[in-house]
Amino acid sequence: MKELVITSLLGIGVLAFDILKLRKFILPLIVVGLLAVVGASIVDWGMNENLFGKNMIIMDNYALGFTSILCLLTLAWILTSTDYFTNEISRTDLYALVLFALCGGYVMCSYTNLVMLFIGIEILSIPMYVLAASNKRDMLSNEAGFKYFFLGALASSILLFGIALVYGATGSFQLDAIKNVLATAGSGTIMTAGILMIFTGFAFKVGIAPFHMWTPDVYQGAPTVITGLMSTMVKGAAFAAFFRLYYLGFTPTLEFTASIFAVLAGLSLIVANVMATIQVNAKRLLAYSSISHAGFMLAAVMTADSMNPRMLMYYVLVYGIASLTSFNVLYHVSKFQNGAEGFDAFKGLVKRNPVMAGAMTLSLLSMAGIPPLAGFMAKYFVISHILERGYTWLVIIMVLTSAVAVYYYLRIIVSMLTPIENAGRIVSTDSNRIGLLVLSIAMVAMFFLAAFV
Amino acid sequence: MEKLVSLIPVFPLVGFLYIIFLGKGLSKNTIGAIGSGAIFLAFITSILVFTTQLHGANPTIVKVIDWITTPKFDIDISFIVDPLSTIYLLFITGVGFLIHVYSIGYMHEDEGFNRFIAYLNLFVFFMLILVLGDSYAMMFVGWEGVGVCSFMLIGFWYKDMANNDAAKKAFIINRIGDLGLILGMCMIFFHTGTLRYDDLFISESAASGLHGWDLHLAAIFLFIGAMGKSAQIPLHTWLPDAMAGPTPVSALIHAATMVTAGIYMVARSSAIFSASDVASDVVMWAGILTAILGATIALTQNDIKKVLAYSTVSQLGLMFTALGMGAYSIAVFHVITHAFFKALLFLGSGSVIHAMGGEQDIRRMGGLKSHLPITHITFLIGTIAISGIPPLAGFFSKDQIIAVAFEENMIMFVLASVVSALTAFYMFRLYFLTFRGSFRGTHEQEHHLHESPKVMTIPLIVLAVLSIFGGFMGFPHAVGHAMHVPHWLDHFLENTVEMEVLDMSVGTESILMILATVIALISMYIAYTKYMKNGELALEDDEITSSTHQTLASKYYIDELYEKIIRRPVDAIAQFARNVVEPKIIDELVKQVSLIPSGLGSVAKAAQNGKLVMYVLAMIAGLIILLSTLI
Repeated sequence: MKELVITSLLGIGVLAFDILKLRKFILPLIVVGLLAVVGASIVDWGMNENLFGKNMIIMDNYALGFTSILCLLTLAWILTSTDYFTNEISRTDLYALVLFALCGGYVMCSYTNLVMLFIGIEILSIPMYVLAASNKRDMLSNEAGFKYFFLGALASSILLFGIALVYGATGSFQLDAIKNVLATAGSGTIMTAGILMIFTGFAFKVGIAPFHMWTPDVYQGAPTVITGLMSTMVKGAAFAAFFRLYYLGFTPTLEFTASIFAVLAGLSLIVANVMATIQVNAKRLLAYSSISHAGFMLAAVMTADSMNPRMLMYYVLVYGIASLTSFNVLYHVSKFQNGAEGFDAFKGLVKRNPVMAGAMTLSLLSMAGIPPLAGFMAKYFVISHILERGYTWLVIIMVLTSAVAVYYYLRIIVSMLTPIENAGRIVSTDSNRIGLLVLSIAMVAMFFLAAFV
Repeated sequence: MEKLVSLIPVFPLVGFLYIIFLGKGLSKNTIGAIGSGAIFLAFITSILVFTTQLHGANPTIVKVIDWITTPKFDIDISFIVDPLSTIYLLFITGVGFLIHVYSIGYMHEDEGFNRFIAYLNLFVFFMLILVLGDSYAMMFVGWEGVGVCSFMLIGFWYKDMANNDAAKKAFIINRIGDLGLILGMCMIFFHTGTLRYDDLFISESAASGLHGWDLHLAAIFLFIGAMGKSAQIPLHTWLPDAMAGPTPVSALIHAATMVTAGIYMVARSSAIFSASDVASDVVMWAGILTAILGATIALTQNDIKKVLAYSTVSQLGLMFTALGMGAYSIAVFHVITHAFFKALLFLGSGSVIHAMGGEQDIRRMGGLKSHLPITHITFLIGTIAISGIPPLAGFFSKDQIIAVAFEENMIMFVLASVVSALTAFYMFRLYFLTFRGSFRGTHEQEHHLHESPKVMTIPLIVLAVLSIFGGFMGFPHAVGHAMHVPHWLDHFLENTVEMEVLDMSVGTESILMILATVIALISMYIAYTKYMKNGELALEDDEITSSTHQTLASKYYIDELYEKIIRRPVDAIAQFARNVVEPKIIDELVKQVSLIPSGLGSVAKAAQNGKLVMYVLAMIAGLIILLSTLI
């Protein structure tokens, strides 16, 4: 409860400060508030607090773990992109939208009732539609917001349809009740149709092929900073909800849906990596990389009945850190060069801003899964687990596509190392520099901390 | 008390780390004191550990930490304390300490002084791991470690390319041997499921799980490892070249300790070797051939260190001959006495080279007796000891090898006696040419001649004393029995290695001893007439006069043979790989494969056209396909 209350009040507080012309206090307020949320999660640890008394939301350790991760990712995101909010006028209200979206994220990882799941998704999505279109004067941003909203609405309606079908088949929105029915009576056609439609809704939200097609356009069109948030906090929250659904409720249905999941995970990996190789725009490339990682995380959901949720948390956090870093560097690099987002924009970055070049290299290598970076362990957990479950063919696809991925990640790194003449330094703020350093250290440290997962 | 053993390798390791990381501002004397002090502490601790083994063999395993733990394979970092390991401990740390002290003087002017002492410390650390490890896996760690240190020390003066070539040669040839060792270890593990000595030989005898050709092959593979490390035919060619390193290195690594690791390993595996008659014969023949080859080449060499190097090859060959005949304890005995007098001879030669300002050619020396009195006396003692003249150390150990050969195999007896005669000849040739007669070098060199400082001569004196009295630890059996002097070393090693019990009468043994002495004295006399009486350098030592001489001086053309039959074909294969396989096959394949993703991408790109209706269509189509699985 505390987490939700603090974050909501924080959002309202930010709006109030904006009106009261106390803008310079907004950032400290957010930092303190989000840290307080993490503190609250630690205090609540193990309490299994049941909100609203009707099993709508249970703040169990799973929920608290993801709450902290989402909160920390958002905090890191805000601290590394302050210049986006301060340099241009009237953007402080965007903070409030981010915080409200974060509230939706909390609900998505703590729900025990399908209605709460839907509400959580909408709380998260609607601010994101606005944020995607927040660069009002940019046509691409408007297009991205519109596409996102239109397709998101379609996906939400399919999801809601699925929830209705499941309710019709089981007579309950409660995950545990649904699980009981599934375990005793099995699932009929209506139930299965409902489950597949819910899955479709999720597949859209997290970007699984063939429901991924919005991702490159929206990621490219939305302001880069917002894309960074989409691929970290939003994607993390969506996977937390997805996994929770199969972890607490739909576990028995994995028997027949797992093979569908596996096929779509493989398809996502192939489509994403193949498409990424022909991209010339770094932002679009990172969008495809995000689809490829969704394939990995779907493989984790596929084995939700036997997988330790901490491995998914680890994956979300590790991918979040790497993705945040890479989008952030991309934002600064392109901002400095009139919005150029091609590989050429990265030329000579090693000399022009070594901190950014270093952080970018680490994040790309982490996403490629090269030790000793945390991305390696994240992939290792998933691969070793699904190998135990016998999906050898999927593992082969994962390994082969990872090899392809190294190719396109290295293209950016090679660009950064290519010398260029007459290029000035790319300046960055102190908080950005410190933030990138902390994130870089985290990418290495998390590799060694993997032993505690 | 046994627990102290885990401290022993720590001292040199700390010494190494301290000198490398914190030694920058310290004076050379401080560095020398730290380096030698570390070895001295290890030596004192070794004595304490050694005393636990004095009254009856009492093997103890001291576990430090888990290393590799898997269900099928379990290796600890732990040390074995038993007579064999402790006696190796004593002479590694003891001789090692003396050579460290000597190095302080010898290397004092060298700019790489710190690095040198640090490497020596690291070498001692790995050598201790080699002999103390309680399993073949631990021994292998030490085995590779000493190889690396040997490489770094041979190429210590890395600015001269010839030294680097010698270092590479040593390393590469050792790798060939290492492959044999690895294969041997694999075979032992495959058939017995363990690499620990305790399981294999001591508490249980898992080694008896090897039978027939498995056993022979495992033993021969292990011996190939020993061939590399201990320079036996056909892997002996690196050792003479290794003399490119500073002289203390030659003394410590390439004479006294590392090269005897092969003997340690075979002695440690004596249960395997004694069960395999085939492997024992291989060891014996390889040993005696190496002994003859080394001794004959040594006859013609004019470089003071090369003579000693071939002498080392030859003596190692004798040790393996003893091992092959099953006389493990006697081989170890010869290792110890050899460590004393060969370290002494090398350090003595170092003192000579030091005085001669880097000159190593004995044809340019002569008459050094009066200039270098201490070096002269100690070198003479070393020469007498290695020649096998009683009662010095070399006599006892070498004579016992010959005695065993007399019992076991008449051919070995004859050949070993020949080696013994040749040894006495070339060593006295070396001695006479270097120390007697008149000086043949330049005036400048003569002016420069001086005795080495105390820090160098005191180790010489200590080693000379050891070379005189060291032999008494293994007094001959039959004669000793009659005189009530026990063969201490045999009793000490009784339960650790397989034993060859000699059943020989006092008379036979005495006659053999007298015979050996007479042979050595005759050789010495021949050398004396040839190199002393005339007062002139024998003609054929300056010019090559016969084809036999040419063959010997060219070391039987073995290096040239390897160049032809190994290096050239390997080069040709490498060229083929570089010119054909790499560009035409591999690169081409990679290029073709890389076209697949981009080709697929172009196809998929058509669908990603930015139109909203296309995306909605894809979603709905996807949903319909999903739902169609219901039917």
